[in-house]
Amino acid sequence: MDNSTLFALLILFLPFTAFLYQLFFGKKLGAQTHLVSLGIMGIVLALSLGFFFQLFNHDLTGPILDVSGEWFSTGAFTLELGFYIDKVTIIMLMVVSLISFLVHLYSTAYMKDDPRYSRYFAFLGLFTFSMNGIILSNSLIMMYLFWELVGLSSYLLIGFWFEKNSAANACKKAFLTNRVGDIGMFIGMLLIFFTVGTFSINGITGAVTNGAFEGNMQLLSIAGVLVFMGAVGKSAQFPLHIWLPDAMEGPTPVSALIHAATMVAAGVYMTVRIFPFLTPDALQVVAVIGGITALGAALIAITQMDIKAVLAYSTISQLGYMIMALGVGAYQAGFFHLVTHAMFKACLFLCSGSVIHAMHHSLHHLGDHHTDPQDMGNMGGLKSKMPITYTAMLIATLAISGVPFFSGFLSKDAILAGTLSYYHTYHGWTIFLPIAGFGAAMVTAFYMFRLIFKTFHGKPVKPEIHEHVHESPLAMTAPLIVLSVLSLAVVFTLPQINPLDGHGWFAHAVGNGAHAAGLDIKHVNDGIHHAHHDAMNISLIVATLGILVSSLFYLFKIVNVEKLTSILNLIGLYSLSKNKFYIDAIYNALLYKPFMWFSKLASTIDWDIYDQKIVDGWGWITMKISVKSQEADYNWLDQKIVDGFGRFANYFGNELRTTQSGVVQNYLMGGIVGLVAIILIFQQF
Amino acid sequence: MSNFSSIAYYIPELILVILILSVIVIDLIPSLQDLKFPVAFIGLGLLALALNLSHGVKASIFMDLIVVDPFSHFFKWIFVLATASILLVSRYSVEVEEENHVEYISLMLMILLGLFLMASSTNLLMIYLAIELVSIPSYILAGMKKNDRASNEASLKYVIFGSFASGLMLFGLSWLYGISGSTNILDIHAALLTNGNQFLVYMSLMMIMVGFGYKISMAPFHYWTPDVYEGSPTPVTAFFSIGPKAAGFAILIRVLYTIFTNDGSLNATSPLYDVNWTLIFAVLAAITMTIGNFLALHQENVKRLLAFSSISHVGFMLIAFTVIGTEALTALLFYLVIYFFMTLSAFIIAIFIKNKLDTDTIDGWKGLAIRNPLISAFMVISLVSLAGLPPTAGFVGKFYLLAVLFRAKTFYWLAVVAILNSIVSLYYYFKIIKSMYFLNEEEEVSSEPLEVNPYVKWTAILFSAQTLLFYFYWTPLIEFINRSLSFWNS
Repeated sequence: MDNSTLFALLILFLPFTAFLYQLFFGKKLGAQTHLVSLGIMGIVLALSLGFFFQLFNHDLTGPILDVSGEWFSTGAFTLELGFYIDKVTIIMLMVVSLISFLVHLYSTAYMKDDPRYSRYFAFLGLFTFSMNGIILSNSLIMMYLFWELVGLSSYLLIGFWFEKNSAANACKKAFLTNRVGDIGMFIGMLLIFFTVGTFSINGITGAVTNGAFEGNMQLLSIAGVLVFMGAVGKSAQFPLHIWLPDAMEGPTPVSALIHAATMVAAGVYMTVRIFPFLTPDALQVVAVIGGITALGAALIAITQMDIKAVLAYSTISQLGYMIMALGVGAYQAGFFHLVTHAMFKACLFLCSGSVIHAMHHSLHHLGDHHTDPQDMGNMGGLKSKMPITYTAMLIATLAISGVPFFSGFLSKDAILAGTLSYYHTYHGWTIFLPIAGFGAAMVTAFYMFRLIFKTFHGKPVKPEIHEHVHESPLAMTAPLIVLSVLSLAVVFTLPQINPLDGHGWFAHAVGNGAHAAGLDIKHVNDGIHHAHHDAMNISLIVATLGILVSSLFYLFKIVNVEKLTSILNLIGLYSLSKNKFYIDAIYNALLYKPFMWFSKLASTIDWDIYDQKIVDGWGWITMKISVKSQEADYNWLDQKIVDGFGRFANYFGNELRTTQSGVVQNYLMGGIVGLVAIILIFQQF
Repeated sequence: MSNFSSIAYYIPELILVILILSVIVIDLIPSLQDLKFPVAFIGLGLLALALNLSHGVKASIFMDLIVVDPFSHFFKWIFVLATASILLVSRYSVEVEEENHVEYISLMLMILLGLFLMASSTNLLMIYLAIELVSIPSYILAGMKKNDRASNEASLKYVIFGSFASGLMLFGLSWLYGISGSTNILDIHAALLTNGNQFLVYMSLMMIMVGFGYKISMAPFHYWTPDVYEGSPTPVTAFFSIGPKAAGFAILIRVLYTIFTNDGSLNATSPLYDVNWTLIFAVLAAITMTIGNFLALHQENVKRLLAFSSISHVGFMLIAFTVIGTEALTALLFYLVIYFFMTLSAFIIAIFIKNKLDTDTIDGWKGLAIRNPLISAFMVISLVSLAGLPPTAGFVGKFYLLAVLFRAKTFYWLAVVAILNSIVSLYYYFKIIKSMYFLNEEEEVSSEPLEVNPYVKWTAILFSAQTLLFYFYWTPLIEFINRSLSFWNS
C-alpha cells in the first residue's frame, strides 16, 4: 500500500473512530470530550492539506490515486470498492475537512452545557466519515452507500433535539424526501450497470466513450436524469427542496456544516462526477431544474423573518445556481461556486448562530422563554454589540451578493456567463436560464442586505434584549474570521490579484472538464469566454440595484415597506413568497391528503365492507362448515402432521438419547455395527 | 530431502519442541514458576512469526515423511490461534488447577505438535503417529480434574473409544501397505493406479475412515463426544471441539484426494475406480447432522449441547466431501474458519460463566442479559452465527456449502436435509438466548453485575466480532483459502 492509499484510508476512517469513541466512551472526559474529536479532525485537516499541496505539483496530470479492491463476487458479477483522487477530489476534501474542523471548534462553545454533548460530536464524526466516503469513492455503488450514511447522520442531527415535535417531524421529512430522490438514483445506477457492467465512474465514462450506448442514447439520458434525482433530493432542488428549510431545526453549527456547506453540496459534487456521461438532453433537464430552484428559492427568501430560514432558502437558491451551471456545461463555474459558496455560506450560518447564541443568552438572562431568538423582528442594532460577527457576516454577504473583490462575484459571474452562452447557442425558451440567473442575483443581493440591515443596523427593536447581548467567545469568532477571509476573491485567484478575473490556481487545477456523451466542451467554453464581459456588466448592475433597493427599504427607510407589501399583496405576490409558493400546501393537497384519504377509504372498504360484510358473512358460513371439518382437521392435520413433526423431533431426540447411554460397550457396539452396515450397504462390485 | 537439510523447513515445529521443554524446565526452578504462561505465549508468538515466514513454501522433508505446503500452513494457523486463545482463557479458568498448570500447558503444546504433524503427514506411519500424538495427551487432558468422577470417566471412555478407532484404522492402513507395498501416500496412489483391486481399496478406505471419523466425531463414531466434552474441563472441551477436528479434516482431505481419486491431486474430479465414496459421505453427512441436532434438542447442559452442536456442524462440513473439486474444499475451509470463531467464542463465554457461577446448565444462564449485557450480546451473535442466520458469517458459510451441491447438481436431498436441520437447530440455540434474555414473571434472579476478566472478555468479543466482519467482507478470507489450496506434489 502506498502512502496516498494510506492517507486516504486515514482520512476516511479517522472520523469514524471519533464517532466510535464518542459513542462508547464519550462520557469519560465529560465536558472536555470534544478534545478527542477536535484532535482527530485536526489530523484529517492536516492530511487533506498534504493532498492539497500536491495541486501545485505541475507534473501531475492524471489522478493521484485510483485503487480498488474486490468487495465480494457472486460469480455472476463482482462488486468493487475503491478510491479515486484527482484535483477535484482534493479541493472537495479540503473544503469538507476545513469546515468540519471549524464547525467542531465552533460547537465546543455553541453546544456547551448540552446534556447530549458527546453524542453530538459522535454524530458529527459519523457525518464527516460518510461525507469523506462520498468524496473519495470511485464508483457509484460506494458513493451510494455513503450517500445513505450522510442521509442517516443528517437525520440524526436534524432531530438532535428530538424532544421538540418540530425537530422530530423535520428529520422524518428530510429522510423521506431524500428517499424519493435516492430511489431514482438507485434505479439509474442499475440501468447503467446492466448496460455497461460496472459501477466505476471512470469505467462508465470509458464505456460511454467507446459507444456502449450507441444508438440508445435515450436510455443514457433517462439513466442520467434518474441518477441526478439523487442530487435533486440531497441538494434540495425543486421539487424536492421542501426538506431543507425544515432541517434548520437542527443545531446551527450543523446547519452550517451539513445543510449549507457540505452535505447539500454532495448532490452537486455527484453531478460533477457524473457530468462526463450526462447527455445534452439530460443536461438540459438539469439546467432547467437548477434555474427554477435558483430563482424560486430567492423569491421566497425575501419575505422570511426567521434568520435561519432566509439563509436556508438562500442555500437552496445558490445550489440551484451550481446545478444550473453544470446543466449549461459550465463545469468549472459550477464546481467553483460550490467551493466559494461553502466558505461564505458556512460563514453566514455560523454568524447567524453567533447572533442566535447571543440572543438566546440575553433572553435567558431576562427569563424570557417565549420570544423567538431567531426572529429578525426582535433584533436590530446589533452592530455595536457584536463587531466581529458583524464584520464577518458583512464580508460573507458581499461575497454572496456578487460584489467584486469577493469570491462569490467570480464564481457567480462565471455561471451567468455560462447561461448567457447557452442562450446564444440554443436561443428560444432558453432565455429563461439567464433571466433566472440574473434575477436571482438581484434578489439575492436584496434579501441578504435586508438580513444585514434588519439584524445589525437601525435602532434595536427590543432595547431590553439588546442590552444583554454580548459578542460570542473566541472559539466561535475564530471560525468566523477564518471563513470570512476565505470569502475574499484573491484566495482563489492567486497568483494573480485582478479582482475581476477568475483565472488563478483554482481554474488551473479544475480545468474545463471532459465530456463523453456528446457535448462539445470546447465550444461551450469558447461561448462562456465570449459572454464573459456582458455577464460581468449585467451582474454588476443587478447586484448594485439589489443592494440599493434594499438599503432604501431597510437602512434609510425611505420607502414604507409595509405599505408596499400591502399593495403587492393585492395581487397576492407577498403571500405567494411568504407561503413559499404554496409548495408545501400543494404537496399536502396533492400527495398527503389524497394519500390519507385513500388510506381511509381503503380502510373503510377493508373493514366496513370487506371485513364486516363479506368476511364475517363468509365466516358465518365457514363456521358451520368448520365445525364439521374441525374435528377432521384437529384430529388429523393438527394432531398428526403438524404436531407430529414436533412430536417426531421430540420423540426421535428422546429415542436417540438412549443411544447415548453412557455405557462404553454400547458405544463400541454402535461403532462396529455402523461400520459393518456402511460396508455392506455401499459395497458395489 | 535429507534429514539435515530438512531442518530449515522445520523451524516452527522445532520452536514448539523447545517451548515444550522449556515450560517443563521453568517449572522446576522455583523463582521462575510464575513465568510458565508468559513463556508459553512468547513461544507461541515466535512460532507464529516463524509460521508467517514459511508462507507459500512447498517442500517434502525428512525422507518424504512430512511435507510443508500452503495447505498445511493454513491449518497450522488455525491450530496456533486455537491453542493460544485457549491457553489465554485457561489461565483464568477455575477448572484448571494452579498446581497442574505445567502439565496442562505442556500437554496442550504437545497436542499442538501432533496437530502440526497431522496436517502435514504424507506417510501412513507418520499419519498414525501424529494421530496418536494428538490422542494420548488428549486422554490425559480430559481427565485433568483428578477428583471429578465425570472427568475420570471422560478420560477412560476417550481412551477406550480412541484405541478402538485407531486399531481399526491401523488395520486399514496395513491393507493399503499390503496392496501397494509403500507407506508414502503419493507412491500408494501411483501403485493403486497400476495394480489395484476395487474391493480392497474400498475396504481399506472404510477402515481408515473410522480413525478419521472418530477424530472429527462423524456418525457413527461420534459416541464418545458428548461424554468426553461434558466431563473434561471446559477449556479443554473448547480445544477438542476445534483443534483435533480441524486436523481430522486436514488429514481426511489429504488422504482422500491423494489416494482415493483418479488424478491424485487437489484438482481431482473423480473417485478412484469409481469407489463411490461421495455417496457414502453424503449419507454420513445427513446422519451426522441429524443425530447431532436431534440429540442437542433435549440437552440442559450447555457443554453437552455445544458438543452435539459441534457434531451437527461436522455433518454440515461433510457436505463438502460429496462433491470432488476445489470449490467444495474452498467452502469447507471457509466454514472451518467461521466454525472456529463462532464455536470458540461460545465456549469462551461458557468458560466464563462456569468460572463465575459454577454452572453448566442452561437454567444457570438465566438473567445473564441483565448481569452482563455486553457478554450476552456477543453470545447472541455467536449463537445466531452457529444457527446460520444473517447477518453473521455462519450464514455465508452455510451458503457456500449448499452452493457446492447446487452447482454440482447432485444430492439435492442432502441440501433439503441440511436446511431442515438448520431449522431444528434454531430451537436449541435460541433456548440459550431465551434463558439469557427472557424471564417468567414470577422468576427472581440476581441482577448483580458480573465482572469479566478483560482477557477473557476481549477474546470472546474479538472472536464473535469476526463472525460479523466476515458477513460483510469475506473476500480476503476466500482469497487466502484459494491460495492455501495447494498440496506439495512431486
